[in-house]
Amino acid sequence: MNMDFTADELQFREEARTWLYENAPREKRPLAGPPMREYDLGWQKTMFEAGWAGINWPSEYGGRGSTVTESLIWFEEYARAGLAPMDARFVGESHAGPTLMARASEEQKQFHLPKILEGEVVWCQGFSEPDAGSDLASLRTRGEIDGDELVVTGQKIWTSYADVADWQELLVRTDPDVPKHKGISWAICDMHSPGIDVRPIVTIDGHAEFAEVFYNEVRIPLENVVGDMNDGWKVAMSTLAFERGTAFTAYQMQLASTVGKLIEIARVREGPDGRALIQDEEIARALGRARADVTSLQAMTYMGVSRNEQTGSPGAEGSMLKLHWSDLAKKVSHIALDMVGNDALSRSSEKGGDWVEEFLFSFSHSIGGGTSEIQRNIIAERLLGLPR
Amino acid sequence: MNLLPGEEQNEIIAQSASFLAGQMPITRLRELLKSGDLVDQGVWKASSELGWFSLGISEEAGGVGATLADEALLFREIGRSLAPGPHLSTTLGARVAVAAGQSDLADAIMEGRTQVGMGVLEPGAELRDDRLVGSLRLIDAKGAPQVLVATDQGAALIATSDLGKIVEERCIDDATHLARADGVDAPLTAWLDAAEDAIALRGLVLSAAQLVGIAEACRDLGSDHAKNRVQFDRPIGVHQAIKHPCADMAIRSEAAFCQTLMAAVLVDEGRADAAMQANSARIVAAEAAEKNAATTVQILGGMGFTFEADAHLYVKRTQVLCRVISSTDDQLKVLIAS
Repeated sequence: MNMDFTADELQFREEARTWLYENAPREKRPLAGPPMREYDLGWQKTMFEAGWAGINWPSEYGGRGSTVTESLIWFEEYARAGLAPMDARFVGESHAGPTLMARASEEQKQFHLPKILEGEVVWCQGFSEPDAGSDLASLRTRGEIDGDELVVTGQKIWTSYADVADWQELLVRTDPDVPKHKGISWAICDMHSPGIDVRPIVTIDGHAEFAEVFYNEVRIPLENVVGDMNDGWKVAMSTLAFERGTAFTAYQMQLASTVGKLIEIARVREGPDGRALIQDEEIARALGRARADVTSLQAMTYMGVSRNEQTGSPGAEGSMLKLHWSDLAKKVSHIALDMVGNDALSRSSEKGGDWVEEFLFSFSHSIGGGTSEIQRNIIAERLLGLPR
Repeated sequence: MNLLPGEEQNEIIAQSASFLAGQMPITRLRELLKSGDLVDQGVWKASSELGWFSLGISEEAGGVGATLADEALLFREIGRSLAPGPHLSTTLGARVAVAAGQSDLADAIMEGRTQVGMGVLEPGAELRDDRLVGSLRLIDAKGAPQVLVATDQGAALIATSDLGKIVEERCIDDATHLARADGVDAPLTAWLDAAEDAIALRGLVLSAAQLVGIAEACRDLGSDHAKNRVQFDRPIGVHQAIKHPCADMAIRSEAAFCQTLMAAVLVDEGRADAAMQANSARIVAAEAAEKNAATTVQILGGMGFTFEADAHLYVKRTQVLCRVISSTDDQLKVLIAS
C-alpha cells in the first residue's frame, strides 16, 4: 500500500499540467448552440493535435493508451485547469466511442472513431423514453426492417446536445414479440436524417440542457446496426465494462476545489453580524464535514483505480462513488447558498449568482446517469445480496 | 499509488480476524460483562504474543516494524469484534515509552505485562510544564499503571498512582471501564513531542479504523437481518425502505475504509496534509459507525431495542471511540484551518 506515484507518472503529471496550463481555452465556454459546439470541438482538435485526445482509448484506435493511473492523473490535472468535466464531447469520447470499440465492425470503427478523436463530430445518446426511464429495457421506439434499411418511429427524451449532434447511439425495439431485453437493437443514427425533429426542453435552471427527439419514419441503413440485430441491450451494457472509474475523477476534483473555495470565502467574507462567516458555528461545521467527505471521495477514487490496476475492473464498489459524490455535491451547493445570505435570491448578483446556478443544477446529480434510487437498489442487491 | 491491502496485509487481516473470532466472540464478551472483569488477561497476553502491541514499533526497539496502515487493518478487526480493553492507548503508549528511552516500560507494554489506559482531557485541563493539570476521564485504565494523554502538541504517559483520587463511573458502554480524576496535578512519566512523532494523528487514524470495523459489522448485521427476517411472507429486505438504508451503510463503510487507509499511509510518511487526512478519517469513520449502528437498531425493530440483540453494543462502543484523542469539534476546526 502506498500513495507514491512512479517517476514516469510524476513526469506524466508534469507534462499534462504544463500542457493544460498553456493550452486550455481561456475564453468562457458558451452555454448553448453552435458557439458551444465550436468551442468544444475546437478544444478536442487542440488535444488531438498535441496527442492528448482519447486519454484512455487504446492506441490501436488512435488514443493515448494511458494506464489507469495516468488517466487518473490526467483527469485530476484537467479539473485543476478549470475545464468542465462534462461537455458536448462526452458521449462520443466516453460512451459511444468505447461501445464502438467493443462491438462495432471494422468498417464502422474506421469510419467513426477517428472523427470522434479528431473533434469533427458530436454524438448524443438516444436511450431514455417518456415511458422508459429507470426501466430502460421497456423502450418502445420501433425499428422496422424495410429492405436494407431500418425505419424508426417513436420518441426519445433527455437527450443532451441533440441540437448540435451529428450522430446518435440509438436503442430501438426491433422485435416486439420477445422478452423486453431481447428485442432491442443498437444503431448509429445520423442526426441530419429526414424525419428527425429535435425539441429543446427547458430545465429547472432555465437553460435548454437537453431535448426531446421525435422520429417519424427515419431511415437508417442496416449496416449502421452495431452488433447483431436484437442484441442491442448487451451492446449498450458493454460500455459499462469499459468504464474505468477514472473519468469521474474530474468531478471529484472539481468538488474538492469548490469546498476549498468556500472555506476561503468563509474566512474573508463577513456574515450579517459583521463577523467572518467561518465564525458561524453552523457554517464552520458544515464546511469541516464537507472537507472530510470530499477527502474520502478522493480516497474512494484512488481505491477504485488501485482495484482496477490489479483486477482490470473498478469493482462493484465503484458504483458507490457516484452516489457518494451526488449526495455530497448537492450538500455543498446548499452550504454555498447558506453562506451568501439574501444574495441567494439574486441570480444576477456577483456574490450569489454562480452559486444559485450551481444549486439549481445540482438537482440533476441524483437523477442523471441512473437515479440514486436505482443505484441504491444495485448496491444493495449486487454488493450486499439483498433480495430483489 | 496503490491503496489495496497487499499479501502480507491480507494475512494480518485474516490472522487477527480468526484470532478474535476464536478468542473473543460476542458471546465471550457477554460472559465478561457478567463477571465484571472486562479484560481477559489470557487473551491480552496472547494478543501481545501475536505482536499486536509492538506491531508499529521499529525492529531495533523490539517491535515488528510494520506500518500505520498495517496497524489500521488490525484495529479495524478489533473494532469489528468489539474486543474490550485499552488496545489503542496501549499501542500508542508503547510508542511513547520507546521514544522516551524507557525500554523497561516499553518492553512490559509490548509483552502484554503492562496496560496503558486512555486519558481524555476535560475542558480546561492541559499538559503544562511537564505536568498534567486539571480533570480527566479515564477509559479502560482499571489495573493500568500508566495513562496516555495525546494532544496536538505531543503525547504523555502519566502514572495512574499520581492521579490522586479516581472515581469510577458507569460507562455508556458496559464493555468499557470508565472513571474520572479531578484536580489532577501530576508529573509526566514520558513525553513525546508531536513534531517528532504525531501520536495524536496516529490515534485518530487507529480509532477511525476501529470505527470502520464497527460500521462494517453493523452493515453486515443489518443486511443479514433484512435478508432473513420474513414479514408479509417476504424478507423485509425486498422493500426499498429497508434496502436503501442498507446501501447507505455500504457507502459510508467504503468511504470510511478508503479514507482511513489513505490517511494511514500519509500520516506514516509525515506528509504535509497528514493532519487534514487523519482528521478527515476520524470524522468520516465516526459518522459511518454512528449512522450504521443507528440504522441497524432500526432494521432489527423491537429486537434492536433489546439487550439480547448485539446492535446496542455497537451504538455504545461508537460513543466511546468518537471521544478519544480529540473531540469532533476540534477535528472540524482542523479541517477548516487549512
